[in-house]
Amino acid sequence: MVDEENIRVVRCGGSELNFRRAVFSADSKYIFCVSGDFVKVYSTVTEECVHILHGHRNLVTGIQLNPNNHLQLYSSSLDGTIKLWDYIDGILIKTFTVGCKLHALFTVAQAEDSVFAIVNKEKPDIFQLVSVKLPKSSSQEVEAKELSFVLDYINQSPKCIAFGNEGVYVAAVREFYLSVYFFKKKTTSRFTLSSSRNKKHAKNNFTCVACHPTEDCIASGHMDGKIRLWRNFYDDKKYTYTCLHWHHDMVMDLAFSVTGTSLLSGGRESVLVEWRDATEKNKEFLPRLGATIEHISVSPAGDLFCTSHSDNKIIIIHRNLEASAVIQGLVKDRSIFTGLMIDPRTKALVLNGKPGHLQFYSLQSDKQLYNLDIIQQEYINDYGLIQIELTKAAFGCFGNWLATVEQRQEKETELELQMKLWMYNKKTQGFILNTKINMPHEDCITALCFCNAEKSEQPTLVTASKDGYFKVWILTDDSDIYKKAVGWTCDFVGSYHKYQATNCCFSEDGSLLAVSFEEIVTIWDSITWELKCTFCQRAGKIRHLCFGRLTCSKYLLGATENGILCCWNLLSCALEWNAKLNVRVMEPDPNSENIAAISQSSVGSDLFVFKPSEPRPLYIQKGISREEVQWGVFVPRDVPESFTSEAYQWLNRSQFYFLTKSQSLLTFSTKSPEEKLTPTSKQLLAEESLPTTPFYFILGKHRQLQDEKLNETLENELVQLPLTENIPAVSELLHTPAHVLPSAAFLCSIFVNSLLLSKETKSAKEIPEDVDMEEEKESEDSDEENDFIEKVQDTNNTGLGEDIIHQLSKSEEKELRKFRKIDYSWIAAL
Amino acid sequence: MGEFKVHRVRFFNYVPSGIRCVAYNNQSNRLAVSRTDGTVEVYNLSANYFQEKFPGHESRLQEASVLARRQRLLAGLNGEIMRMFTGINIKYDCEMSWEDPLWSMVGCEDGSVKLFQITPDKIHFERNFDRQKSRILSLSWHPSGTHIAAGSIDYISVFDVKSGSAIHKMIVDRQHMGVSKRKCIVWGVAFLSDGTVISVDSAGKVQFWDSATGTLVKSHLIANADVQSIAVAEQEDSFVVGTAEGTVFHFQLVPVTSNSSEKQWVRTKPFQHHTHDVRTVAHSPTALISGGTDTHLVIRPLMEKVEVKNYDAALRKITFPHRRLISCSKKRQLLLFQFAHHLELWRLGSTVATGTVEAMCLLAVSSDGNWLAASGTSAGVHVYNVKQLKLHCTVPAYNFPVTAMAIAPNTNNLVIAHSDQQVFEYSIPDKQYTDWSRTVQKQGFHHLWLQRDTPITHISFHPKRPMHILLHDAYMFCIIDKSLPLPNDKTLLYNPFPPTNESDVVRRRTAHAFKISKIYKPLLFMDLLDERTLVAVERPLDDIIAQLPPPIKKKKFGT
Repeated sequence: MVDEENIRVVRCGGSELNFRRAVFSADSKYIFCVSGDFVKVYSTVTEECVHILHGHRNLVTGIQLNPNNHLQLYSSSLDGTIKLWDYIDGILIKTFTVGCKLHALFTVAQAEDSVFAIVNKEKPDIFQLVSVKLPKSSSQEVEAKELSFVLDYINQSPKCIAFGNEGVYVAAVREFYLSVYFFKKKTTSRFTLSSSRNKKHAKNNFTCVACHPTEDCIASGHMDGKIRLWRNFYDDKKYTYTCLHWHHDMVMDLAFSVTGTSLLSGGRESVLVEWRDATEKNKEFLPRLGATIEHISVSPAGDLFCTSHSDNKIIIIHRNLEASAVIQGLVKDRSIFTGLMIDPRTKALVLNGKPGHLQFYSLQSDKQLYNLDIIQQEYINDYGLIQIELTKAAFGCFGNWLATVEQRQEKETELELQMKLWMYNKKTQGFILNTKINMPHEDCITALCFCNAEKSEQPTLVTASKDGYFKVWILTDDSDIYKKAVGWTCDFVGSYHKYQATNCCFSEDGSLLAVSFEEIVTIWDSITWELKCTFCQRAGKIRHLCFGRLTCSKYLLGATENGILCCWNLLSCALEWNAKLNVRVMEPDPNSENIAAISQSSVGSDLFVFKPSEPRPLYIQKGISREEVQWGVFVPRDVPESFTSEAYQWLNRSQFYFLTKSQSLLTFSTKSPEEKLTPTSKQLLAEESLPTTPFYFILGKHRQLQDEKLNETLENELVQLPLTENIPAVSELLHTPAHVLPSAAFLCSIFVNSLLLSKETKSAKEIPEDVDMEEEKESEDSDEENDFIEKVQDTNNTGLGEDIIHQLSKSEEKELRKFRKIDYSWIAAL
Repeated sequence: MGEFKVHRVRFFNYVPSGIRCVAYNNQSNRLAVSRTDGTVEVYNLSANYFQEKFPGHESRLQEASVLARRQRLLAGLNGEIMRMFTGINIKYDCEMSWEDPLWSMVGCEDGSVKLFQITPDKIHFERNFDRQKSRILSLSWHPSGTHIAAGSIDYISVFDVKSGSAIHKMIVDRQHMGVSKRKCIVWGVAFLSDGTVISVDSAGKVQFWDSATGTLVKSHLIANADVQSIAVAEQEDSFVVGTAEGTVFHFQLVPVTSNSSEKQWVRTKPFQHHTHDVRTVAHSPTALISGGTDTHLVIRPLMEKVEVKNYDAALRKITFPHRRLISCSKKRQLLLFQFAHHLELWRLGSTVATGTVEAMCLLAVSSDGNWLAASGTSAGVHVYNVKQLKLHCTVPAYNFPVTAMAIAPNTNNLVIAHSDQQVFEYSIPDKQYTDWSRTVQKQGFHHLWLQRDTPITHISFHPKRPMHILLHDAYMFCIIDKSLPLPNDKTLLYNPFPPTNESDVVRRRTAHAFKISKIYKPLLFMDLLDERTLVAVERPLDDIIAQLPPPIKKKKFGT
C-alpha cells in the first residue's frame, strides 16, 4: 500500500521554458532550459525531454556549459547554490554553496576556476556582477564564498550582460548607458546615449547586449527597435557605433553566430532577423514564429539556433533559417476564458492557448499535443487592438463534438459573436469545422453545455446568454444532392421572465436541464422542453450550477455570488441543505459522487470536497494557494489509486488540477517530489547510433558489409579474439563516467587481464572453425564466380549436393544457376 | 523701443543653385564650393565658417581662389577645359607631392584619360592614356603619384602613370538588390596609399578593391539608390560617402581587436541632413562636409575629433549667402534684389524693372558723403575722406573678416560686425574706438550672442534715435540701445520686449541693451523705411524646396 503522507499542493508541469536563454550541448544533440526549480534536458532531434535535473530548492536562474568539460553543466539558483551536473546521465556531481541569491550565471573559458554571477547584496534592486571562485575539492558539497566584485548597478536580467572576445571585457547595459569593464586594465568605460529628455530619443533605453565572438564589437538592442554596433570602445573618445534598424518595437534579444559573421535579433514582431556581415541591407528573415521572441541562443557547433517565445515554447532552427523542432510547454501568455477541460479522447487538458487557439496539453508528458486554430484569422500583434477572444468551449458526445464561442466587443453596442461546432474526424485525427453560427444570441454567451448522457440518440447543445434566452441546438441532417452532411440548428428557445440566463447544466442521464436565470434556477424536461419547476433562494445570482452524479443524481447544487452554497433535492423539490461558502470553483468528479469546491477568502483559497448527499465535507484543505484560484478540473486517472484513508479516497479515481490567477497549474499529491518525478525522467535516452543522414546510407551500409566481410576473414584466419564489447571489465570501464572511475593504475591490471584468452575457450572454439575453413576453401576452388549469397547456400549444402555439382560441367552449372535464380513462388499461388 | 509698421516682403524669388562640388584645403582651412550655375564660393572655416568669396562671373574666379589652390585648379578647369572639350563630365584633379609643376588628369566622355601639366600661367597637354570603351566618370591618384584609378561604366581601370597603360580592369557587379540593373555607373573612386581602391556606384554599393591583384575585397550595400560621392580623410582612417537618398554615411578604419594590429573598414554613422541627392562630400580633419541638389551646405563636426565642446562642435547648415542681397531706397521705397546674374528692382507694392549686371563690394558711405569705409578680404577696414580723396585712417586690424558695416548719420561712428559675432564702434573723427565699444569689449558679449549661427549681414541706424543701432542676421533682428546697461551671462538675452503692463521698475531692471526679435526667419534683409516703418525680406525654406526637383521617394514605415 502506498504510504499515506499528507496531501500536498504540487506544481505539475506547465512551468516556464522561456525564463532564460536555452543552452545547447557542444554536439548540438541536447538543449537545456531552466524550468522552475529544475533544468530540463531535451533532445534537439526528437523534442523529447531526456532528463530533468532536480536538486535546486528554488527557482533556477541560469545554466551554462562547463567550459572545461563540455559534458558538464553548471546551474545557479535563487537558493544560493551553483550545481554541476553530468547531463547525459542526469547526475548531480557537485554543489557549490555561495550563500546569497544568484540571479544569473555566466562562464568564460579563460577564467578557469571561476564563474560569474549576478547577486544583490544590500538593497533589493541594486545588482552586482561578481566572479565566484570555485574551489577544487573532491567532496560533493563545497563552499564557494570567495566572491570578487566586477561591476555594480547592473540590470538584473542576464540579457544585459555579455562577455566578449575570449573574456577580455564584459559589457553591461542599463537604462541609457553601456559600461564596458576590461579585466586586464581593470577599467570601466561608460557610454551614455541621450536620454528621454529629448523627444526624438525618448525610447533609447538599452534592452539587451551581445558581444562578437572574435572581434571587438558589441551589439546592443534598444527600446525603439534599433540595434547599435559599438566599436573602438576601448577609447573613451574615439568610440563609434552604427545603427541597424528593422524592428519597430523593442529588441528583445540579440545573439552573434559562432563565427560572428551574422547577428540574430528578435522582438515582438515574432520574426527572427539575421543580419549578415552586420550590414543593414543584407538581412534574412524567419517570420511567423507565433509569439514574441524572448531569447535567442546559438549552439556552440554553429549548426543550430533556438528562440524562446513568450508562449512558452522553444523553436530549434537550422543554420539556414528553417525551423526544425518545436518544444512547446503549456501556453500561459494570456488570460484563460474557457476554463480547464479534459478532452475525452486524449485525456489532454484543453484551454486557451495561443491567440485564437485551443491548446491540447498532455499532463503526463508535460508537453503540448497540438493547437487547434479556432478563430482562423491572422493575429495582429499591436498594443491597444481589441482582438477576437475565444470565450467558451465545451466537448460533447465523448469527444466527437467540440463547441466554441468567440466574441469581439469594441463598443457596448457592437458585439460580434460566433459559435462554431467542430466534429472529430477519425481519419485526420482532428477536429473539422462543421457548423458556423453567426450571432447565436443577441448578447454574450454565459454558458454552454452538451448533453453527455450515454443513451441520448441525438447530440444536443444548450447555450445560455445574457440576452435572457437559452437555446437548444440539435444535430440534424443537412444532406443535399451533392453530399451527405449533418449540421446544427436551433431547436428550442426558452426564457424565464426576461432574466439573464447565467448557467446551464444537464443531469447525468440527460433527462433534465437546469438553467439559472440570475437568482432563479429552472428545471426543464429535455424531451418536451417544458418547465418542470423552479428553485429560488434569493441569495444572489447563481454563479455555479451542477447536478450530482451516480448515487447523488437526485441533487442539484448551486453556488451564489453572496457566498451561499445550496443543495436542492429534485425529488422533493425542496432545499436539502445550504452552507455559507464563497465558492469560486465548483467541479464535479465524473467518476464519483464527489464535488470539489474552492472558496476564496482574504487569506487565500481553501478546498472542500463533499458529497451532495451529506452536508459534511469529506476533506478540507485550507490555504492551498495564496492567490485566487480561477479554474479547476478533475482528471480521471488511468490506473486508480487505492487510498484507504477516508480523507484521501476522493483522490482514488481522479486527480484534481487547478489554475491560479498567475497561471500556475497545481494539483494535489501525496508522494514526495522525487517519487513523483521518476516516471517522467524515465524517458528514452537519445539514440547513440549515428543519425540517418544520406551520408550514413552510403557509408553506413558499406561499413556493415565491410564488418561482415571482416568477420568472415576473422573466422577464416582463425584469430579468435573475444569482441571487446563482450568483456565485462572493458565494457564497465568504457561505460562508467570518467569522473567516477578509480585511478588508471588500478584499472590497468584488470584491463590487461581481461584481454588475455583463457586456454579452455580457445581450444574449444578452434576445432569447429577448422572444419568450416576447409569446406569453404573447397567451394572456392570449385567456383570462382561464387558470390556471397551462394556461398551461404553452399555452406548449407550437404555433402551429397556437393558431389553433384562436382560432376557437372561448367556450362551445365551455369544453366542450373539460372534456374535457381528464377522465382518459382508463383507456383505456390496457383 | 517703440513700435514699427512692418512691410513683410516674401516675393524675393531667390533660389540658390545646387552644390556640384566641394573641396577642402587643410593648410588654409578653407572650403571651396562650386554650384551648378558655375559659381564658386569660398568659406573660411577658422572664421566661424564665414563665406569669404561670393558668386561672381568667371573672370573673377582665378582671383577668388588664391588660398584654396586645389580649388583654383578646379575652377580653372571649369573655365578652360570646359571650352576645349565640350561634353566633359568629370573634372577631377590631384595635387602631386612636389610643388611645381602640378599635374592634372582629365577623364573624358570618349573614355580617354588625359594628363595635363599645370604651370602658373598655362595648362599643357601632356599625353593620353590607353583609351577605354566607355566614358570615365571618376578619377583618383594614388598618393605617391604612380597610379591612377578611373571609374567608368561597369568597371574600374587602374593605370600606370609612367607607361600610360591600364594594369587592371575591375568589373563591378551590376546586381542591384537581386535584380540585374542595366548598367552600374562608378560615380566615385578613391585610391588609398596601401593600394586599396574604394569605389561607389549606382547600385548603392561601396566596394573595396585590391589594386595589386585587381580583386574585390569587401562590399557594403548601403543604399537603394546611387552612391554619388566619396571623400577620404587625409590620415586615411575614415571616409564619407553621399547617396542620392540624401544620406551621408561615415566609414571608419577600426582595429578588429584591441590587441591586434589588424584593422577593418566598418560603416559607422549615417546622417540624414539632406532631402535630395548628395552630389559631393568632403572630409576635413574635424568635420564631414556635404552638399547637393537641395542647395544646403552641411558641416557636421566629428565629435571625437573636437577637443572642446564649443561653438565649433555644432552642426552647421548654410543655406543663404553671408551677404546682403537686398538694398533699399528709403526715399523712393524701392527694393533692389541681387541675383547671381541679374538684379531686380521692386517698388513696394508693384514690380518695376529688371536688368543690369553689377559687381558687389563691402563699402559704407556716411550719410553726409564725407567718409567712405572699405573692407578688403584681409579683415582690415580703411576709411577714406571722400572730399579730399585720401586715406583718413585705418581701423586696427582684427583677425576675423568683416561681415557688415555702416556709418552712423550724425556722429560719423563706424559700426563694424565681424564673423565671430563681435561688434565694434569706431569714431572716424576721433580715429579711435568709442567709449561704448570699449565697455562692450571689456565686459564681453553674452555667450548666446556669440553662439549665433549666421553672421550679421546688415547694420542701419534710426534717424531720430542716435543711441540705437539696428542689425540683423538670418534668424533675428536686434536693436542695440547704447543707453541701457549691457547684459551679462546671467541675464536672459532673448527676453521679449517687456510687457507694457509691468511697472516701470521691473521693466528697467529686466531691460538691457539688446532687444532681439525672432519673428522673421529666415530673414534676408531688414531696414527702416522711415521712422515708423520697417521692411523685412524673408525667404521661407519651403518655397525654395518647392522649386527644386523632387527627391527620391522613400517608403516611410507606418505610412
